[in-house]
Amino acid sequence: MPSQETVGQSKIRPEQPPRPGWLRIILIGRNPKVTLVRVAVLIITSFVVFKFILLPARIEGISMLPTYQDRSVNFVNRFAYHWHEPRRGDVVGIRLAGPHVMYMKRIIGLPGETVAFVNGRVLINGEVLDEPYEKSPCDWNCPPVKLGPDEYFVVGDNRTMPSENHVFGKAGRDRIIGKALL
Amino acid sequence: MKIVFRIVLLAALAALGVWLWTVLFPNPENVVRKRLAELARTVSSSPNESDLARLASARSVAGFFAANVELNVDLPELGRRNSMDREEITQAALMGRSRAGGLQVKFPDINITVAPDKQSAVADLTVEANVSGEHDSMVREMKFTLRKTDGQWLITRVETVRTLS
Repeated sequence: MPSQETVGQSKIRPEQPPRPGWLRIILIGRNPKVTLVRVAVLIITSFVVFKFILLPARIEGISMLPTYQDRSVNFVNRFAYHWHEPRRGDVVGIRLAGPHVMYMKRIIGLPGETVAFVNGRVLINGEVLDEPYEKSPCDWNCPPVKLGPDEYFVVGDNRTMPSENHVFGKAGRDRIIGKALL
Repeated sequence: MKIVFRIVLLAALAALGVWLWTVLFPNPENVVRKRLAELARTVSSSPNESDLARLASARSVAGFFAANVELNVDLPELGRRNSMDREEITQAALMGRSRAGGLQVKFPDINITVAPDKQSAVADLTVEANVSGEHDSMVREMKFTLRKTDGQWLITRVETVRTLS
């Protein structure tokens, strides 16, 4: 049986648009409209996530050594304490006047407790606190501090420096922005 | 098409009206915010600043403050003072600039509360200072009280806030 072409009937093919080059496919995809929507969704999602949920933070200083190195990058999860209150051992971001500059500290004392430093050991209500994150011994001595119902005691992990050079103490719950992610 | 053009024109006119309103009758909070940003720029200095420029800048810094400023600060540079006049502020600014070499001051967070009479305001702010050649920046939380005097917002009280007590 002769083929259709042999009898002079050519196949009618719909005219196809020229195939985009590989560079264009890499840069803007096969369908630019879909790519545009994807980019817009990505930008909006990134904005919402990094503005309201995970605050990017660059750590400056050595007060959280050895847990966090100077100039390292972290994120503060603002939703971490949406369902529960901060816990002992959590590393949290503490705001100053706003969220653009924060202290990164570890919670060692919870509301209502009494916190003291005796020869470098932390005493909570008179009992020694086990701190596995503390790698170097220190000789800090601080008188007992009674925490209020909405106060937490925060301190950095690096206690090899003199206590006078270290920023630590009571922080109100309203100052705790969130928990360090990494 | 004509209707669309009219709507666009109306929207543009409304936007222009709002913009004009904010220029002619600025919100006191925005004025204070701009003033504080200007203070941060004036306090900042470059390392190779000439003596004359240093003196002029120090005088400009004093211009942001009232004739007598109440102090409640625990900054070792200022010692234990309860108040400072403009001449003392000029001297302190001059000394700070000479010592620091280069200094970059920023107020990354400013919370402003304007009094109902719109004649005074309190600004709770974070001060971030970077001295040229130093690795770490100095960060403090401070509170400025400002009063509108002869149309200008002047700082009347400066206090440091203890973030962690």
